[in-house]
Amino acid sequence: MSAPSDAAAAVDTPAPTTAAAASSGGFTFKLHPLVIVNVSDHHTRVKAQAACSGDSSSSSSGAGAGQPPRVFGCVIGVQRGRTVEIFNSFELVLDPVSGTLDRAFLEKKQELYKKVFPDFYVLGWYSTGSDVHDTDMQIHKALMDVNESPVYLLLNPTINLSQKDLPLTIYESELHVIDGSPQLIFVRSNYTIETVEAERISVDHVAHLKPSDGGSAATQLAAHLTGIHSAIKMLNSRVRVIHQYLVAMQKGDIPVDNSLLRQVSSLVRRLPAMESQKFQDDFLMEYNDTLLMTYLAMFTNCSSTMNELVEKINTSYERPTARRGGRGAFM
Amino acid sequence: MAMDAERRQAELIAQFSAQAAALSSAPQLAALVLEATSHPALFAFSELLTLPALSKLAGTQYASSLDLLRLFAYGTLKDYKSNSGSLPALLPDQVRKLKQLSVLTLAESTKILPYDQLMQELDVSNVRELEDFLINECMYSGIVRGKLDQMRRCFEVQFAAGRDLTPDQLTNMIETLSDWLGTSDSLLHQIQEKIKWADTMSEVNKKHQKEFEDRVEEAKKSIKKLNNLSRQTSTYGGMTTFSLNLEE
Repeated sequence: MSAPSDAAAAVDTPAPTTAAAASSGGFTFKLHPLVIVNVSDHHTRVKAQAACSGDSSSSSSGAGAGQPPRVFGCVIGVQRGRTVEIFNSFELVLDPVSGTLDRAFLEKKQELYKKVFPDFYVLGWYSTGSDVHDTDMQIHKALMDVNESPVYLLLNPTINLSQKDLPLTIYESELHVIDGSPQLIFVRSNYTIETVEAERISVDHVAHLKPSDGGSAATQLAAHLTGIHSAIKMLNSRVRVIHQYLVAMQKGDIPVDNSLLRQVSSLVRRLPAMESQKFQDDFLMEYNDTLLMTYLAMFTNCSSTMNELVEKINTSYERPTARRGGRGAFM
Repeated sequence: MAMDAERRQAELIAQFSAQAAALSSAPQLAALVLEATSHPALFAFSELLTLPALSKLAGTQYASSLDLLRLFAYGTLKDYKSNSGSLPALLPDQVRKLKQLSVLTLAESTKILPYDQLMQELDVSNVRELEDFLINECMYSGIVRGKLDQMRRCFEVQFAAGRDLTPDQLTNMIETLSDWLGTSDSLLHQIQEKIKWADTMSEVNKKHQKEFEDRVEEAKKSIKKLNNLSRQTSTYGGMTTFSLNLEE
């Protein structure tokens, strides 16, 4: 027991466990947005639960006062050669006493995921916080028997509005010689975001869910219209470019390029895109349906307001005809 | 999409142009024209037409080849039939290509092509043959994309590759594009006005809501005052009547 504690002490010495240097491993990391959403969801849930239980019990839990609790989990994905692609993640339980991860749970989860995604391996682990902690290296080493060079994903949950990049850093562990003895330290690596179509749809959906100042119906309409406006503006500018090009070609400033002309002519031929009879029929039908539904909704609204009004009148003007208890009619 | 068909042709065009530049004698050029017009994937001939080597053919006995090339660049099957005297006989490959090009020309003017018109233009007698031609020759080769509507007996064209352009067609295209730009500008303007309208309406709504709330507050306050006054005067009376009720 003394040897590991000495080693642990050596790692936990004041020498920082991270280096600001970029990794020289040459691994290219590709991160899928699902992982980011998972980690942030995990963190938010734990934070909300802690806040909830902190409110009900007495607020003497000083630990949760300033810092939200750290969450931990595993990331899985595929490693092909020097490219590491992180697809998914799952949560892990950290034993607060010993500071180690629950191995049995990890292995069970791994097995389950292997059945569904046979290609995915445990590539590393994640955690939240603003910077790398000293205890992280222990966990990192513990994972080294699952994957010989695990990757550490750190999400910074503090919201910094001025920051434009994702508050996510990926660390690898490398053996560097410091003060004459080889030590494992974390080095930061670069990563790119890689999306699959399904992920793109969901990220787009989440991004549009809440307009920036929180909307009533009218501002949602304005947001939608603004989106359409910018799309049409882009189309407009591109068509303008083609138009200018053609005019220049006609005047003779630019040599005639037949293949481009053919492409433009096929484009122009697609143009009266809305004139067919079928389109008119479908369009009018949908338009009428929407109008009908708005009408119906308005009807329902009006009738319920009417109902309320009638009830109010009934209650307030009932007294002369009620029993002679005066104000004692509240039974 | 459009670009694929063009890209495929670009290589062929380059190849043929290189060949034409290399050859110099008239019969060889005529043979080249024949090869180009029967090639299954080549639909663009204006590059070949503009080659100076080919204009040399104009005066010679192979002028008909030049006319043929011009026909393939700009004309349809109908034109061929009306001038069949002056043009050389066509191989079946060329006939098929000319038919494909005629479909492209037809797709230029209208987007919905009735079967009857197609059958007349392409010189086929029954619908089955027409559909086979459209599917195999036109859609699979990628020059046209659309839907065949059997019940209404028409062919809806969604996309058609471009043919070679005559100079006046260029002016038409420029006009169409400027019309398009005008329409989209006015649309943008209208959308902006809608956005402003939506914002003003939401402002008006909020103000109305606020006024309503203020009025409700005022009414509540005045009722409370009334209540307090009336309670102070009739407390005793109310208490006695209340106890009477309980005994009943």
